[in-house]
Amino acid sequence: MRNKYIENFENTQLEGKNIPDFRAGDTVRLAVEIKEGEKKRVQDYEGVCISMRGQGTGKTITVRKIGANAIGVERTFPLFSDSLVEIKVLRRGRVRRAKLFYLRDLAGKKARIKELRK
Amino acid sequence: MEFIVEKIGMSRTISVPSTPVTLLKVVETKVCEVNEGKAVVAYSHSKKANKAIEGQQKKYNLSKDFNTFATILVSEKAEAGDLDMSALSEATKVKSSFTTKGRGFSGVMKRWNFAGGPGGHGSRFHRTGGSIGNAEWPGRVQKGRKMAGQYGNAMTTVKNNVVSYDAENGVLVVAGAVPGANGALGRVKVVK
Repeated sequence: MRNKYIENFENTQLEGKNIPDFRAGDTVRLAVEIKEGEKKRVQDYEGVCISMRGQGTGKTITVRKIGANAIGVERTFPLFSDSLVEIKVLRRGRVRRAKLFYLRDLAGKKARIKELRK
Repeated sequence: MEFIVEKIGMSRTISVPSTPVTLLKVVETKVCEVNEGKAVVAYSHSKKANKAIEGQQKKYNLSKDFNTFATILVSEKAEAGDLDMSALSEATKVKSSFTTKGRGFSGVMKRWNFAGGPGGHGSRFHRTGGSIGNAEWPGRVQKGRKMAGQYGNAMTTVKNNVVSYDAENGVLVVAGAVPGANGALGRVKVVK
């Protein structure tokens, strides 16, 4: 159980945050605000969420994508950070564990995740 | 002005860049006696009670809960009774004093960040301090030589910026870390 004062402090910050419900295995598209010198712009980052950890304001997600030249790229984002303008869930994946680090060792067709059908 | 606080724990903000913050609970304090900007105050800490404490409680008309006494700096307007916390709402900078976590009798690598020696390859020099001085001259160890010994469990003060103050719950949020364990009592001094 977390301390009620810490929870209170974090909840006031998280008020009004609209984060969709998703878990590891889901494909997400994140709109990330980045600062280039003085200018700010929004860049999309799309990939499979392979891990979700932490709680409260410290909660982070790790999103893995296959970049140019088939090089895996992983980025970790604080889930409630103000730099995440939008989070969109594109696809639900059928996976059996909470951390999908095994995807790092797989490539090509082996690294696919089946879509969740209900 | 000083206040008795309890360290609650740490969190972070969601702003960009994110700030690590420490939450401090301002302990309810009663002023017993004011003397030239300093005041004897009482607050509740543990359930300790003995005749000496009872005598003081009778003298200052305190309830059984206020069983620990301390001397802190207060504003000139302070009077006996509840301690006025309003100064915290305008504070921007504080000095936080806590007792650091005790590490016991520690070696020089932990206590003074000595590099230590190689682990293997026949090296017989691992975590010890090594030479501590010169030769027959000066025939003594220089003062201030860093050696193994008691580390931690000492009063340490750090400066913190104030992020926010919740007067309703008495929670002061400061940027960065403060020494000591969660739940430890210390004091903050309003600098600005």
